[in-house]
Amino acid sequence: MSNPPLIAIVDDDDAVREALFDLLQVEGLAARTFGSGEALLADTTAGSFDCVITDVRMAEIDGLELQRRLRAQGSSMPVIFITSSVEDATRAQALSDGAAAWFTKPVTDEELLDALRAALDAPRGK
Amino acid sequence: MVPEALAAVENDRAEGGPRYGRLLPRLGAFGQYAGTTAWWALDISEARPVIAAIVEGSAPADWVGALFAGVRIADIDENNLHLLGPVGGRGRMIGELFTRFCPPESWRIGADLILAAAAGYPAGAPLTRDITSIAFGNGWSTASTDPAHPDIVFIAVGGVLSDDRSLWAVRASEERYRNLFHHLPCALIQVDSRPMRAIFDDLRRRGISDIAPYLDATPDLPLHSRDIVQVTDANRGALELLGAERVEQLLGPVDFVFAASPDSAKRVITAHFEERRNWVEVMKLRTLDGRLRDVELSVTYPTPPDRLDVTILGFVDITERLRTEAQLRQLEADYSRAARISMLGEMATSIAHEINQPLSAIVTNAETSQRWLSREDPNLAKVGQLTARIAESGRRASNIVQRIRGMAARRAPERVPLDLNEIVEEALLFVRHDIESRSIGLSAKLTRGLPRVLGDRVQLQQVVVNLLVNAVQAQNGGPGRIELDAAVNADGAVVFTIHDGGPGIAEENLDRVFGSFFTTKDDGIGIGLALCQSIIATHQGTITASNHPEGGAVFQFSLPAAR
Repeated sequence: MSNPPLIAIVDDDDAVREALFDLLQVEGLAARTFGSGEALLADTTAGSFDCVITDVRMAEIDGLELQRRLRAQGSSMPVIFITSSVEDATRAQALSDGAAAWFTKPVTDEELLDALRAALDAPRGK
Repeated sequence: MVPEALAAVENDRAEGGPRYGRLLPRLGAFGQYAGTTAWWALDISEARPVIAAIVEGSAPADWVGALFAGVRIADIDENNLHLLGPVGGRGRMIGELFTRFCPPESWRIGADLILAAAAGYPAGAPLTRDITSIAFGNGWSTASTDPAHPDIVFIAVGGVLSDDRSLWAVRASEERYRNLFHHLPCALIQVDSRPMRAIFDDLRRRGISDIAPYLDATPDLPLHSRDIVQVTDANRGALELLGAERVEQLLGPVDFVFAASPDSAKRVITAHFEERRNWVEVMKLRTLDGRLRDVELSVTYPTPPDRLDVTILGFVDITERLRTEAQLRQLEADYSRAARISMLGEMATSIAHEINQPLSAIVTNAETSQRWLSREDPNLAKVGQLTARIAESGRRASNIVQRIRGMAARRAPERVPLDLNEIVEEALLFVRHDIESRSIGLSAKLTRGLPRVLGDRVQLQQVVVNLLVNAVQAQNGGPGRIELDAAVNADGAVVFTIHDGGPGIAEENLDRVFGSFFTTKDDGIGIGLALCQSIIATHQGTITASNHPEGGAVFQFSLPAAR
């Protein structure tokens, strides 16, 4: 991996989105934020991200659907879910769809960063 | 032409009271005038010394006045009662001074007749005199005595009626009035408010046209008015309401009526001064036995104003009604609180999500701050920015908690100006998560700058939340739609509309969806919409249910704009 990794943060909550961005920033990780799954999908540079951190519940398309559509577009980038609700069915679905990690809010910085680094280091098809 | 002497008989109906019994003159030849005469039976016992003095030639200068100071009414007939009597009837005339009821223009002839009948003075004085009275254009008045009642002088008045109908019309009308007054099932008191006229004339002479501020500045005036305006009669209802046993207990200054509501007296005086026909207000009334009642007072000022001696005050006791209403409001408040708490329970997931968002941001921001601070070159500017965000998220979480507390709190509903858009946005807080988790598309068209509505924030939120929950549950799975709209209608009312993407309401249920315990859900108990209707009704609004032509149910409520 020659270029520094770039991470997409998708959350419809401004405060959460900005907090995640700042956390990555202090660790020297570059990130861009998106207010919805559609915004990420519509971004022409979507393919240039190395990982997606996304909320599950969002107004239009939810996190799971976002992962499905990314996969449908042929993207294999790891998706880390952070949700504020505990729903095992959704979690199981996300993991079986190939989610890299699943966290319940509030997530600790260590956990998230560890999962993020693991995801970035993991060998990928693309 | 001149009737024979009248003879009195005792009547066994003791309506005249224990002092006199009923005295009836034997009419004799007089009988033909029975219907068109009026008579008095006068007790002259107290006037004997004055009569003796007059006969002896030592009459006082105002001998008529001196004589009548001792002449009391022993009995009267019905015609006289109708023409001159007080509303309280015969009982209230018996024993009173003759001059209290006999018009002054007849006093001199009356005195002459009493002297002639009781003392034969002056010698040869006629026992019959020509008179002119209100009932008889050209009439006569005649005096007689009865040996069985030596201190009684009968004075009869008769003649040809100036207008055949007038006496009867007056009589019938008075009788109708008296019947109504005494038998109406509400409390009535009659007051003589004539003394106010002199006061009002004086105020107008002094250029006072707005009496209300004057009454505030001159507190003695309303007090004085309460003293000089006299209660002259009261009906059974009034006795009952005021805890009195006899009419006499209520006669005299009207003061007691306003003892518990002094400001009401000012408004009654003001309405009178402004020459209104009537005045109605709710006031507190202290009864003679010390109870405090809520009453609706209505004052009817008679026209023409010279009949102000019959100003009527009516009272309707609304104490129980107000109490029931208060209980009902309390019950409704308890009930809607219970419904809100149950709603909060159902929305626990949604609420947890709403609170978790800012908490999550707080935790991440705090941890990020620690990372900045633990570096060799701590980035304090960045930490400052992050702590500001922490504070902001903390406030956001606290606001959410406050709203939840508002929903759960037991408190009296209030009436404050509210922005319906805010209500809708706050209500969405409770359901947004539910809407999102079911992939329901929500569109809210909230017109900016809506006029405010007067109401209770929490109750109106509850209505919107109920309607939203209803709409969410109507979707039947699958991605649905909910459209919200807040706008002003042609009448200036603020209208909230919610249109769901469900199957709509079956025609046969359209007019009963707001009924209590109506539900089409397996696990519903059917209180949500009934509660919505009840809350909207107490806000003077209306709520309707219908089906959208393109499918889905439409619930709409409108609330009057606050003035």
